Amino acid sequence: MADKLHPIIKLAGRDFADGKLDRREFLRIATLLGIATPVAFGMAGLPMPAMAQGAPKKGGIVRLGSRVQDLKSPHTYSWVESANAARQTLDYLTYTGIDNVTRPNLVAKWEPSPDLKTWTLTLRRDVTWRKDNRKLTADDVVWNIKRVLDPKTGSSVVGLLKGFILDEYETGEKDDKGVAKKSTRLWDANAVQKVDDFTIRLNGKAANLGIPEALFHYPLMIMDPAENGEFKVGSNGTGAFDMVELDVGKRARFAARKSGHWGGGAHIDTFEIIDLGDDAAAQVAALASKQVDMIYQGAVTTYDTVQKMPNVQINSIDTAYTAVARVHSLKPFDDKRVRQALRHATDPDAVLKLAYRGLGKPGEHHHVSSVHPEYANVGYMKQDIAKAKALLAEAGYPNGIDTEIIARPQPDWELLAVQAMVEQWKEAGIRARINVMPSAQYWNVWTKVPFGFTTWAHRPLGTMVHSLAYRTGGAWNESNWSNAEFDKLITEAEGYLDVEKRRAVMAKLERIMLDEGPIVVPLWRSVFNYSDKKIKGYKIHPTIYIEAKDMWVDA
Amino acid sequence: MLRYTTRQLLNMTVTLLVVSLLVFMLNELTPIDVARKLLGPYATQDQVEILNKQMGLDRSAFSRYVEYVGNVLRGDLGESNLYRRPVAEVLRDRLGNTLMLAGICFAVIVPFSVVLGVFAGMRERSLADRAISLFASLCASIPEFALGVFVIAIFVVELGILPGISPLSTSGGWPLWSQFVLPVAVVTLYDGGYLISMIRASMVEVMRQPFIRTATLKGMPFRDVVVKHALRNALITPFTVILLQLNYLVSGLVVVEMVFAYPGFGRMMLEAALNKDIALIEAGALCAVTVTMLTQIAGDYGYMALDPRIRV
Repeated sequence: MADKLHPIIKLAGRDFADGKLDRREFLRIATLLGIATPVAFGMAGLPMPAMAQGAPKKGGIVRLGSRVQDLKSPHTYSWVESANAARQTLDYLTYTGIDNVTRPNLVAKWEPSPDLKTWTLTLRRDVTWRKDNRKLTADDVVWNIKRVLDPKTGSSVVGLLKGFILDEYETGEKDDKGVAKKSTRLWDANAVQKVDDFTIRLNGKAANLGIPEALFHYPLMIMDPAENGEFKVGSNGTGAFDMVELDVGKRARFAARKSGHWGGGAHIDTFEIIDLGDDAAAQVAALASKQVDMIYQGAVTTYDTVQKMPNVQINSIDTAYTAVARVHSLKPFDDKRVRQALRHATDPDAVLKLAYRGLGKPGEHHHVSSVHPEYANVGYMKQDIAKAKALLAEAGYPNGIDTEIIARPQPDWELLAVQAMVEQWKEAGIRARINVMPSAQYWNVWTKVPFGFTTWAHRPLGTMVHSLAYRTGGAWNESNWSNAEFDKLITEAEGYLDVEKRRAVMAKLERIMLDEGPIVVPLWRSVFNYSDKKIKGYKIHPTIYIEAKDMWVDA
Repeated sequence: MLRYTTRQLLNMTVTLLVVSLLVFMLNELTPIDVARKLLGPYATQDQVEILNKQMGLDRSAFSRYVEYVGNVLRGDLGESNLYRRPVAEVLRDRLGNTLMLAGICFAVIVPFSVVLGVFAGMRERSLADRAISLFASLCASIPEFALGVFVIAIFVVELGILPGISPLSTSGGWPLWSQFVLPVAVVTLYDGGYLISMIRASMVEVMRQPFIRTATLKGMPFRDVVVKHALRNALITPFTVILLQLNYLVSGLVVVEMVFAYPGFGRMMLEAALNKDIALIEAGALCAVTVTMLTQIAGDYGYMALDPRIRV
């Protein structure tokens, strides 16, 4: 726990007492600012979440059905499936739990400066590397942080921490079109500083409350510098398992570390990942014959069948996972009334039921979910065909419009959602042809197609997704949406710690989205997976991170 | 015969060269960015460019093709982008698995189809003929994936007596032999249905020939008529079809391998194509073409053995 209370905690405590801050947001802020998790739960008047389901038993094997990908370069992973394999051997500095609360992991504590620009990380002193029993030191961590921030590595951590600790500069080279090439570098030579053998300081150029959360970004695993960023069978790690077999596309096997793990080690002896391919029928078959104990992620098409299997339980959690039908501001969608007509012609409740079996919540045509702390209820837009027709007529399209929407065939619910919306739009005179494009092809052009349906991952804050997807010039602004007032309001919302103030700004952002925005948001989906009832100690994470060391087998 | 074989092998070499060029060109035309596919949708452009450079994909298609052919001639099939292992290793492993499955299937399908086809065809329009024909039509008309789901529903979900997937690993508690039962059953039923119909039709035609009538009228036992006179003649036409099954069994088991999560050649080729793993696709295509052409050569020799009038 921090020696002195951060001034923002006092502020947050006052807002919490006044009822302006809900418990969940208070917990998040208190833990981010260095308050130990049990203390934070106590301050919020909440009991610590119980994970244990009876006394854990030692031994046994857990087999997970998931893709087995190439694991060579953890710092550049872009798939959760890869991270779910390597995280059994490699640890993170922090850990964000299913309750959205970030806890110390390899660090014993962190302390932010009052202006949130400097973060001091103190390492646990009982962490050792499996191979040589050497203690984890600040040198190891500094090497890892510098490596992920080096543009030559190609890690997505660069994008996450760019505003905090990196400067963008022109390299002096030009690309094929003659545009000056840019790269990034640490904004100061001392930006990642070793204070002593167990203390690291991140000296940022701007305030950032989310550093502990960023340290849990899935490529930021702490590797042994001696292995130069390469992960393979037998690689060193501080985690509870040793990877003993990897056959990409077939299986990966992890054996529990016998002793010396700082967290007390794993309950099970072996964790195995079996590649079942992409066929949903194979998932059901593997669970039925007990050849796997868990499936990484369930498919809508198998949900009903799995529900009837007596040995299997379905784990699900509400998330801010969604997909948006978004348009570029090109004819006929350059007129905001046409964009409004699209929204009025959509029945989110029906789409949720048809495409995702009702597993989630209906969308409200703005990108803030009710699981986000700053969500503002600005009124649910129900389907209104008459209004959609009137808007189209006002915009000069009394006979409706013809258009084409690009959708991916996988995951299956996305195409079903598009098909459902297209049928609904027909009633209003919006005749859309569906162009089904394979995923690999779609991700080459996802920001370029005029009208597409794009999946968006869960993020803990609404402001994060607004900043990524709707700020002018943003790298992932796939709709090319540009609205000066909207940009100003995003920045304003990001600057408020007080969730009520943020909610007030978010209400304005949501209304702008409903009035002018480029998107139709049909649903917020729950994510779910399947596990055998004998597997205990597991709860599904919103990002489906899987920690085998917490599981045990009740055989 | 030696001249024929040499000519066929030369033909095969030219065909392999043409196929490798066509596959390479088709891959170039596919609008998939390999690095983007490998790194995922949310990878930064920097990451994509770094990987493209590492894999040499920033060079021209022509120089990559020339380099590829040169490497293949030296026996180096390259490295798989998807599996991050030498292509030769991946191919050996996956092709080995498929050959094992294909071998078992072939060993079951041929006697199964010949026995039922001959039995149905030797007494046309009998009850046995009608029952076998109905069974064969039913099997051939159900798609493989549906057949796979049906057998899984019955033997895995309902009865629980067989494993549902075939990862060729015993860690799930099922012995290896049991993991072949359902895939072999699906392939046998699906493929056997077609072969039974072919063999039956050929047998019916032979049984109507005058020499069969003569043999029967001479008082030869019916068993001898069928075995000594009808069978050999009836198998000439289906022989081509039986040999064609080898191609299907080596490179066409994609659906069965996907449904049963079997780590074989078909599934490997599908995943390689989806991931634009050019080195693996090229090597796989060359393998499939080699099998096809060798089967044709074997077929020609087979014809000669079955019918001495045929000479090449």
